[in-house]
Amino acid sequence: MRWMEESDDSIRRAILSGDKEAYKVLMARYTQIVFRVAYRITGNESDAEEAVQEVFLRGYQALATFQGRSSMATWFYRIAANCALEVVGKRRPEAQSRIAEENDPERSEVQLADIKAGPDRLLLSREIEARQQAAMSELTPTERTAFVLRHMEDRSTEEIAAALNIAPNAAKQAVFRAVQKLRRQLAPLWVNT
Amino acid sequence: MKHLEEAELVEHYYEESANMADSERHLKACPVCAKRYAELCRDLDGVATPTPPARREDYIEQVWQSIGASLPVYEKPRRSWIRYYRPLGWAAACVLLVAVTFVAGRRWERKQASSVAVAVDPHARQRVVIVVLGDHLDRSERLLVQLNHADGNDLSASPLRSEARELLASNRLVRQSAVQAGDLNVEASLDRLERLLMELSNEPDNLTEADLNRLRQEMNTDGLLFDIRVLRSWVRSPGPEQQSAPATKGVPI
Repeated sequence: MRWMEESDDSIRRAILSGDKEAYKVLMARYTQIVFRVAYRITGNESDAEEAVQEVFLRGYQALATFQGRSSMATWFYRIAANCALEVVGKRRPEAQSRIAEENDPERSEVQLADIKAGPDRLLLSREIEARQQAAMSELTPTERTAFVLRHMEDRSTEEIAAALNIAPNAAKQAVFRAVQKLRRQLAPLWVNT
Repeated sequence: MKHLEEAELVEHYYEESANMADSERHLKACPVCAKRYAELCRDLDGVATPTPPARREDYIEQVWQSIGASLPVYEKPRRSWIRYYRPLGWAAACVLLVAVTFVAGRRWERKQASSVAVAVDPHARQRVVIVVLGDHLDRSERLLVQLNHADGNDLSASPLRSEARELLASNRLVRQSAVQAGDLNVEASLDRLERLLMELSNEPDNLTEADLNRLRQEMNTDGLLFDIRVLRSWVRSPGPEQQSAPATKGVPI
């Protein structure tokens, strides 16, 4: 594609001048980041894909307002965090943790490991994973997003605050509350070890 | 020793503590906080970071297919033209405003000037002339009366001469106005008055009775006084009827 070597700003100007197809280049550059953030925040693939579509839709519509004060990667990152947060918020009422009978990765239910299923280590690992998923689903969308950005994406408090459009202190508190809740949920695991 | 709060331990874990060195020292010195911090690290280290599943090669195309149709094509901005020419546009507007204001001001000024001229000419101007002429005739009449009644006890010509010199200048102006207006009667009377004023201005300081009589006879000051009184009566009653029939009644002396 002819735009592959061009800078983000050149591509942005081309899009704003009527070259709609050039947007695919920006999508190719940032899909991986956007999908990764969306996946970690939403916790499942289909929600992440929905968030990705929304991110690129909003990104295109808001491209004229992009002023280059941050990099385009950061800009898409913020939109991704916001869209994923909205998807989580939308799905939250119906996303109550339920104990599933089958091991279906596409379903949002928590698959608790069968205690009689195998060696102790494998059992503990599955138990931790299941508990973690359950604990994450108990967090509010803001707490969940703040925790993912802090713990998994290694973003600073200021970056989290900017992405969620909240005050830095509120971002710090959201991370702290998420840590507290997760520790409470995961505490029983460590009693048995 | 004050123990670290849980929030402080979390901040230390994420390396966002304001005093990393202090909390590090405390954790080394305080076994209670060190144990709590070790538990926190164990819990948070145990939180797995999910690895997103790999995307298919055509994933971007797939996303494009789903959103591409709803994306409008941006129109080539004409704003760039406007952006470059906007300052010029403002400058042109300012120049135009100044020009319009200037032209309007000039027109207004002309209109005002013509209206003033209309106001002055003829009535206002006539009133001004009448006032000036009336004052001049009054002073001239007083001078002639003094001259006609001067006797041997009152022969100092100095006051008469200074008054005559002052009246001489104004009389020339008034006479020229009468000439321009084509008023021959007034012009003739003022001409005679001017000759008298000229003589009087050039008289020596010590006048004799004989000098005065000579001047009265040569200049016919009685007749001139009569003319001045007639003129003054015209000026005081400038209506058409009085102008055509001048009053003969003089000012009482």
